[in-house]
Amino acid sequence: MQIYLPIAEMPVNIFLIIGLGAAVGFLSGMFGVGGGFILTPFLMFLGIPPAVAVATQSAQIVASSVQGVIAHWRKGSVDFKMGGVLLGGGVVGSIAGIQVFNALKAAGQADLFISLSYVIFLGSVGGLMFWESLQAVRHGGSNVGGVKREPGGHYWVHGWPLKMRFQRSKLYISAIPPAILGFLIGVLSVIMGVGGGFILVPAMIYFLRMPTSIVVGTSLYQIIFVAAFSTFLHAVTNHTVDAILATLLILGGVIGVQFGLRFGARLRSEQMRLFLAILVLGICARLGLDLVLTPSDTFSVTIEGAE
Amino acid sequence: MKFRAAFFAASTALALGPLTARGEDLAAGISRDTVEITSNFTGTDVVVFGAIESETGEALPATEPRDVVVVIRSDKPYTVTVRQKERVGPIWVNQNMRRFAGVPGFYFVASTRPLKEIANADMLGQLEVGLDHLALGPAPGAIGGPRDYREAIVRAKMRAGLYGEHQGGVSFLSGSLFRTTVALPANVPAGNLKVLVYVFSHGQVSSSNSMTLFIDKTGVERRLSDFARNDPVFYGAAAVLLAAFAGFLASLAFRERQ
Repeated sequence: MQIYLPIAEMPVNIFLIIGLGAAVGFLSGMFGVGGGFILTPFLMFLGIPPAVAVATQSAQIVASSVQGVIAHWRKGSVDFKMGGVLLGGGVVGSIAGIQVFNALKAAGQADLFISLSYVIFLGSVGGLMFWESLQAVRHGGSNVGGVKREPGGHYWVHGWPLKMRFQRSKLYISAIPPAILGFLIGVLSVIMGVGGGFILVPAMIYFLRMPTSIVVGTSLYQIIFVAAFSTFLHAVTNHTVDAILATLLILGGVIGVQFGLRFGARLRSEQMRLFLAILVLGICARLGLDLVLTPSDTFSVTIEGAE
Repeated sequence: MKFRAAFFAASTALALGPLTARGEDLAAGISRDTVEITSNFTGTDVVVFGAIESETGEALPATEPRDVVVVIRSDKPYTVTVRQKERVGPIWVNQNMRRFAGVPGFYFVASTRPLKEIANADMLGQLEVGLDHLALGPAPGAIGGPRDYREAIVRAKMRAGLYGEHQGGVSFLSGSLFRTTVALPANVPAGNLKVLVYVFSHGQVSSSNSMTLFIDKTGVERRLSDFARNDPVFYGAAAVLLAAFAGFLASLAFRERQ
């Protein structure tokens, strides 16, 4: 069954879009990622203009992450304080990201630099995570929390000032590392045009040493604001949020999120880390192949707008 | 006096463009003048037809060679960016970019014979008849792109089904009656389409006709796209709030089962 999209100005198959929304919602509910990095290329493959795809999927992410956060909040597994610090860093980071982006563009080779650093970054994060979680799964890791903490262990960040107590995450650390992390994710989001959930989640697990169960809800919490801001900005500046496409994606998304939440709750934390590592490596492989494979058309054409 | 007459003739010719009526009339029509885009729109066919008659109202003798070219193109031009990937070591990366202006969102041409047999390239270029003769120029402030950049635009548009050429697509039903069917794809941009009919004789335009086909969104489609364009701040805020509300409702709906 086909339905015409008023902003994309083309028809799509209703069930295909609902199914796509469900699949991305599942990942979102399970891992605490937005899922834009999968949805956007898929929508573009269906012929939806890139600007509409990017803007509209962010509306779905708003719905999915609100739903996910509420479910996690009921279980007490959202660290709002940590989310707030990350978000604060993120706002500053997005502003800085625009400067970095323009500087890279002016220097030329921006595309090459961004793609390469992205692939290397994702590859190493995914690889390390894969190795660590595989070991943990093999040894039947019994910790219900996050990465195993050495008893009374101190990390380098413990000496930093501005210590804050993050009760939910069972952490008493300086506010600077999470703020820096938020900042970096903000810079990346602007440069890559993605929400950054799939980088934020591993970073919270391994750098901040938050319990895996708290990470998903907290990541979704900060994604709500990133996605809401992005939806609003695209609607105002480019008029590219397609209400009908968004409705269909959300319809599938809410069902997918629910399944993702339940599936995620049943997984042990090292199993979840293993699946997430596979997902991150998958994204890395896709980006890497895009760089190396000979494109079917070496030219790409983007419509800037009506004259 | 003679000079003045010549000047007058020249300026008229300029004003009318390349059309010079040479004792014949072209009557043309479209099967419909409005295409309404509703929520189940999946594209539609439009028939363009017409008759060529001599001034006295008689059908032209079949011995007189005539060619008919029908062009359907969108009124509204776009600016597009073309990027070219090049290989740097093992990696493909965007290296160069060019911007083009005057790119029609939709362009289709049907003709009785291959265009190059109908008229020379100068004439076709002047009229923008044929994909090879579209006037795609560099955008203001941009340097002109080499030919392969221009061809990339046409190729991308053809892949999307928005550009097409059908040589032999116009057929004569009799000595003077002709028709062609144009399939408008589902992704045809909303707005006005210009339907241009040219009659060629000996490489020159002997008569022509211009019509307008309105592509209009109706109902919900229309209201939503108007809303998005005319009131973007409110639309954006509504989109965010409704999405958040949908997530909230879903979390309520699934609450029991957790």
